[in-house]
Amino acid sequence: MDFSFTEEQEMLRTMARDFLVTECPKSKVRELDKDEKGYDSQMWRKMAELGWMGLVFPEEYGGTGASFVDLVVLIEEMGRNILPGPFFSTIALCALAILEFGTNEQKSKFLPQIAKGETIWTLALMEPTASYETSEINLSARSDDDYVLEGEKIFVPDAHIANYILVVARTGKGKAPQAGITVFIVDAKSPTLKIEKIPTMAGDRQFQVIFNKVKVSKNDILGVAGEGWEVINFILQRAAVLKCAEISGACQAVLDMTSAYARERVQFDRPIGSFQAVQQKLADMLIDVEAIQYLVYQAACGISEGEPSRLQISVAKAKASEAYEKICIDGITAHGAIGFTFDHDIGLYYRRVKAAEFAAGDVDLHRGKIAAELGL
Amino acid sequence: MDFKLSEREKTLIDEIARFAKKELPEDFVGTHLIDQEYRDFEFEISMSKKLAQKGWLVMSWPKEYGGQGASLMEQTVYEMEISYWGIPGAWMGISGTQWVGPCLMMFGTEEQRNKYLPLIASGEQDGVWCTGYSEPNAGSDLANLQTRAVRDGDYYIINGQKVWTSKAQHSRWCWLLVRTDPAVTKKHRGLSLFIVDMKSPGVVVNPILNYYGRHHFNEVFFDNVRVPASNLVGEENRGWYHLMQALAFERRSVAPLAYGSSKRLLENLVKYAKDTQREGKSLSQIPAIRHKLAEMAIDVEIVKLFAYQFTWRVSQGAIPVYESSRNKIMGDDVLRRMAISGAEILGVYSQVDPDSKWARLNGAIQGAYLGFPGAMIAAGTAEVERSIIAQFKLGLPKSY
Repeated sequence: MDFSFTEEQEMLRTMARDFLVTECPKSKVRELDKDEKGYDSQMWRKMAELGWMGLVFPEEYGGTGASFVDLVVLIEEMGRNILPGPFFSTIALCALAILEFGTNEQKSKFLPQIAKGETIWTLALMEPTASYETSEINLSARSDDDYVLEGEKIFVPDAHIANYILVVARTGKGKAPQAGITVFIVDAKSPTLKIEKIPTMAGDRQFQVIFNKVKVSKNDILGVAGEGWEVINFILQRAAVLKCAEISGACQAVLDMTSAYARERVQFDRPIGSFQAVQQKLADMLIDVEAIQYLVYQAACGISEGEPSRLQISVAKAKASEAYEKICIDGITAHGAIGFTFDHDIGLYYRRVKAAEFAAGDVDLHRGKIAAELGL
Repeated sequence: MDFKLSEREKTLIDEIARFAKKELPEDFVGTHLIDQEYRDFEFEISMSKKLAQKGWLVMSWPKEYGGQGASLMEQTVYEMEISYWGIPGAWMGISGTQWVGPCLMMFGTEEQRNKYLPLIASGEQDGVWCTGYSEPNAGSDLANLQTRAVRDGDYYIINGQKVWTSKAQHSRWCWLLVRTDPAVTKKHRGLSLFIVDMKSPGVVVNPILNYYGRHHFNEVFFDNVRVPASNLVGEENRGWYHLMQALAFERRSVAPLAYGSSKRLLENLVKYAKDTQREGKSLSQIPAIRHKLAEMAIDVEIVKLFAYQFTWRVSQGAIPVYESSRNKIMGDDVLRRMAISGAEILGVYSQVDPDSKWARLNGAIQGAYLGFPGAMIAAGTAEVERSIIAQFKLGLPKSY
């Protein structure tokens, strides 16, 4: 049992924190909120130069061979600071799966581009029934020699700037609903692919993507045709943990700003942080923050060691999603009216709660998975 | 970061499981899981003896004092398993193995160590300890205590009253905090720790029944009790600082114990949900019940990680401050959830007497339900613990 970070992890954390404070202050976050692209391509290039995109890739693909836990450390800092942009969709939703399931050709072609920050990727999974169930994957991929995709996806992040989209499609039907699902690598600029923005509270970029007979080569399948759900499971497990890391950092930031405010804000001639009612709230926030941290690190270690635990992953995501909401609400109310204003940073976090919850499965979905793991 | 148990720790878990299956009646999960009151003291002390023979009772003590020199992580794993199986007799009263022994090793005299440690380590009835901290006007504000010890030649004369003294009725010794100097400006100064023989003339133990009729607590009166001066533990008037150490030892085991018992309750509830039919389907198919059990599993994971993290910190040489309060709150919360959600799952059977044949799961849930409010008060109320976190971790001003 060891709860310490390695020296490299500590250095990575410090480097990430310093970089983000300088390059991505809250004024920048607000600016990108209104920006058409929603991210800063110059900052994106600098992140690539720092080795963030290729962090967990082997050296042969332009990476540094770091561990999954290292990636968690990096994303915690992104969550703490708030970093708008397609890092999560490119790395968590796509690159890890390419590394795991890609052919040598696919890996050699795509991973170095990603590591250099040259391409942006995203995942098109959910359909209009708004479910993560395999039975709800109905976007059809008919095969002649190549495939033709037809159907609709929703809540596809960063589709407007993506170069490639991993598209989850149905190539057949088997006895089990997960049979016959295939993951395609699709050129996001295909002429018959239409996107429409879904405006969100968070100000992140999510889209409806309509595939109107989009042609895809049979060489552009990721993993095995008909066995794509294995790829999606792989992605969702890792994305859940990495989204938890983002939430973990965000919750720490909200706790820090709220306790700082409670120390400074004076009412009745004393700091409001001296009142027990305020203290109790903050103590509960601290307990939740530390619970999220250890749950995330535990789940991430399992993945790093090649033994992901479905129970640990779902426990982490269910707890993190639920606690993020509570911490933000308690943080805002502890601030009083100032916490409700546009200019205060705490609202930036609260507005991201729902997007974070639904990424890679919400509280109820993960409670269901936990129940299944308990043998129910 | 590494969350794996060592081979030694895994072996220990297996050995305790074998021991529990051999020594305890089948399905020995009852109301004692929460309230720690076994009612059969003879059985409890017989188990202490067996734990001693296995080398587990004081495993983390050095060999010279009857221990095995086991690591704190092994000790933590042991506590989790003791609690999981509900093995009685592990604490030698409430305090013998947990803080009396470790404190005597830190600041007791050679004579005290030689006299008291073997009694605890052997699992003998004469090694059973109670702890005298709280008084009628000294609860959360413990430093307000008034019980006096006055020096008289080679003795101290003790007068006063303690309350909520767990297991005093079975204890041979009391680990007693008293005031030795009343003329101090700050009330946490002028306190001292003593070892008091509960057979001394002038010691009177009266039972206090809790609201479900169990006898766990007592009030203990000291009427001109003569205690040899050699029974002073550590330095005179530095009792508060010794107390902080004793509480640190006590609090380390809060989360391991909560984890062990809640893990067992969860497993039993899962089995109950699967085995129980209602309206033509098993309870485990009902979404609301699945969600309750999933929520429990989340809390169980958290308290486990808090327990390991705390032990790891201590193993690194740190003296955790706010973490013990964090663990206390989390341990209480998980037990409360077990009790309340568990009772909801039992449904109408949650109201029956835990000792009745009508009780499901041997009354374990009712035991938790009746017992958890007491557990939440013991060793620091939720309000006090949260204030400690606010003050010592978050840097907020003192609230009291």
